[in-house]
Amino acid sequence: MALLSFLARRISQGVVIIFLVTLLIFTLLRVVPGDPVRLMAGGMAPEALIEEIAKEMGLRDPILVQFGRYMTGVVQGDFGQSFTRPASGASTGGTGFGDSSRGDRADVLTLIGDTLPMTLQLAALAVVFALIITFLIGTPAGLAPNRWPDRLAFYVSSIFVSLPNFWLGIVLALLFSVKLGWLPAIGYKGFAYTILPAIVLAIELSPVLIRNLSGSLSAVMQSPFISFGRVRGLGRRRIVYGHALRNASVPLLNLLGIQISGLLGGVLVVEFIFDYPGLGLLTINAVLQRDFPLIQGIAIITSAIFVLINIVVDLIASTIDPRLEY
Amino acid sequence: MTSLPILSVRDLTVRLRTEEGGRNIVSDVSFDLAPREIVGIIGASGSGKSVLSRALVNWIDPPLEIASGSVTYKNENIFTIPPRRMRALRKEIAYVGANPQGALDPTLPVGRQIVEKIQALVPELSRAEAERRVIELLAAVRIPSPASRFHEYPSQFSGGMMQRALIVDALATNPAFLVADNVTQPLDVTIAAQVMRLMRELTERFDTAVVFVSSSLPILNDSADQILVLADGRIVERQVPERLLHSPQHPYTTQLISEIPQIWTDTAPVVPKIPRQGTPLISIKNASRSYHVRKRGTFASYSEVRAVRDVSFDVFPGENFGIVGESGCGKSTLMRLLSRLEMPDSGSVICGGQDISRLWRADLLKFRKDFQLVLQDPFNSLPPRTPIGEIIGGPLRVHGIRSADQRRKQVLAVMEEVGLASSLFDELPLGLSAGQRQRVNVARALVLDPKVLIMDETLSALDQTEQFKLLKLFSDLQAKHGLTYIFISHDMAMVRRVCNRIAVMYLGEVVEIADNTKLFFEPGHPYTKALLSAIPTLETRRYDPEECLLDGEPPSPIDLPPGCGFASRCPKAFGRCRVETPVLMPDGPDGEAACFLVPSYPPQPVTAAAA
Repeated sequence: MALLSFLARRISQGVVIIFLVTLLIFTLLRVVPGDPVRLMAGGMAPEALIEEIAKEMGLRDPILVQFGRYMTGVVQGDFGQSFTRPASGASTGGTGFGDSSRGDRADVLTLIGDTLPMTLQLAALAVVFALIITFLIGTPAGLAPNRWPDRLAFYVSSIFVSLPNFWLGIVLALLFSVKLGWLPAIGYKGFAYTILPAIVLAIELSPVLIRNLSGSLSAVMQSPFISFGRVRGLGRRRIVYGHALRNASVPLLNLLGIQISGLLGGVLVVEFIFDYPGLGLLTINAVLQRDFPLIQGIAIITSAIFVLINIVVDLIASTIDPRLEY
Repeated sequence: MTSLPILSVRDLTVRLRTEEGGRNIVSDVSFDLAPREIVGIIGASGSGKSVLSRALVNWIDPPLEIASGSVTYKNENIFTIPPRRMRALRKEIAYVGANPQGALDPTLPVGRQIVEKIQALVPELSRAEAERRVIELLAAVRIPSPASRFHEYPSQFSGGMMQRALIVDALATNPAFLVADNVTQPLDVTIAAQVMRLMRELTERFDTAVVFVSSSLPILNDSADQILVLADGRIVERQVPERLLHSPQHPYTTQLISEIPQIWTDTAPVVPKIPRQGTPLISIKNASRSYHVRKRGTFASYSEVRAVRDVSFDVFPGENFGIVGESGCGKSTLMRLLSRLEMPDSGSVICGGQDISRLWRADLLKFRKDFQLVLQDPFNSLPPRTPIGEIIGGPLRVHGIRSADQRRKQVLAVMEEVGLASSLFDELPLGLSAGQRQRVNVARALVLDPKVLIMDETLSALDQTEQFKLLKLFSDLQAKHGLTYIFISHDMAMVRRVCNRIAVMYLGEVVEIADNTKLFFEPGHPYTKALLSAIPTLETRRYDPEECLLDGEPPSPIDLPPGCGFASRCPKAFGRCRVETPVLMPDGPDGEAACFLVPSYPPQPVTAAAA
């Protein structure tokens, strides 16, 4: 019962957030320069034709009217069709618009549905890598503040934080794919293609997580129940793994919720570099082509993911620490 | 003692290592603990008693170190036992400390953590057996519904319950001896008395020897076979309790004994009745205050915490008015209403003829000048990076004194009054002791020349000696400035010493208001009697704890039972108490009490209840 009411409250809040995000994206897209019809019809199309197409597509109506029309579709599960992509295959760019009827263009939901699982796979693997790095480096650092493991963690996270992801992506691809031939890098033909981009993302994620874990772990180690645990006769391993890490993982988890949302930004660059067919690559192309329905669809989906992740994080955090109310 | 000692301590010295070298916190302590014996160690704060009790269980961490000496258990010095074997020995060596709330992992159920300890130390016991044992022990320390409490988290336990759970934790492995360091210090008096009674029972039942460390001689006197007096880390005297009290050898012991508050003896302080005439300075009328907290696990329903319920009383000029009660009784909320940090939901607070909830801006500032507050915590109530002179002068700036010279002059004058050296003017409060910090707090309140000082547990953090000095200061200031004090406290002995009139609060209500002598000698309310029976004192008690002190804790202010709030713990409760709520009725010329047993209480409901 408590769980249901929690979910009801958080999901209704989430719906409001998603609605606001959509409104914002929708408005901004139409306010900033760049006419999608011009891109669709091609640079040489006459002005009158462009106006005609634009009118036909409803792009000259007031923004709120357009938004109302769009949202009516969205609540019925219709995210519209891409401006530029035919249902059959690759992006058409500017030239193919004239003849193809609207029905032939790809559904936004289908486009997202094809790419989102790829990105989720990449993100999940990246988080797993990041957590492995974080616990391997952060735990000893938190147990030995101001001694060498702590300093090692500081240096490692300083280096990680200063590596630009595009540079690291290229270097890793050169090293592991081109020179050593251990891992494939470009495109996607199987799970192995996810590993390199995931490592790049994990390295981007981990510095903050390492600092957070070592900081909160060393703070927890100062709490009275830790030193009293020794007097009560608990073993060191039991105290560290059973109690200290458990308590220190709550702030880490909250941070992770925010970081995962930030990951979506990193995905853009990394997917572009590795030509990884995920949501990030789709987003870049959609923006370059002013593909309004696709951008809007991606915005709704990503903000929904953001809301969901944070609900899940709060749920897990409150099962670890019952004092946190959900 | 003929039997071999369980524990023998020889020339134990514990050093605090500092940059300048170090100093001894505990020096050359030697004593033996016989089986089943209870050794009491008494010392003031800073006497090294906590460090000593930690050393007895081999819990000394840097910068502290064992400089010399030994603690021998079963023919072995515990300081030289390798860690692995030491850990196994923890089964036989138990410790209960003064901080029950921090002692267990807040994210795991209490019962599970005690089982974890049993399993770590007694691996041959199965999990189910360990659980059964813990639930049995939880019942033995009178934790209500132990089987469901087993699964609750530390934050769901009150301080007293947590302390009892930790006693279970300590005794769960049948230890040979137990070190109890100031276990009753954070607890309310009635709860502390319960816990003490329990410890005596259990240690007898389990044949456990106890080292009982405390800063309260009355508590040790009740239970110890032998008392060691610790001063500056050294044992200055050892005696059996009766002899210690009647013929103390060391001047420090004499001083300790002289500081024990006197409640009912002939030498007890007599606080005169102040004639109550004219208009009251503060008049609080039917004030109530509730807080709304979201119910855990519901969508939008709130529960109402009724912190202060229908409180009325008057305070007259020149009076020392005391408000007493245990934690959670609404004292602090009442203080917030009196000082207009919050406004009552209903009812009013009238000061100097004005309803203070109607005051704004300039009028409010004027009110604040006359009614100043001195808080409880000497450490958090002073900004650490502001010089003392500036802290004390802050209120002057707020109240419009622009000239820095003028401020400096006034601050120095008030610093001299409260006994702070003028050289402290430019110092930061970092190096000050708790007592000096409270003087800064008092000076900050006094600098505006107020009419009323509200003291919210101002003396609670100080030891007896320091309390004496500050109380002396308060009465000097009162004589000089004609101040009126309101003392909010849980310390009955302190209130006995200074307050003319005292209001006793329970669950948000004032259950009794009476003059000092009346309240302490002929209290009208059973709760007051319970409080009096629990005061740690060496006197023959006027109120027998066996009769007045009941088990259990106050009900939650969220689900208030109908009828009298105290009925669930009252030894004298009868049918009427559970249906009708008593109101304050005159109980003799000097007091009022809210109890149906007050002779003047009308036999029929006073108000036509819900007719």
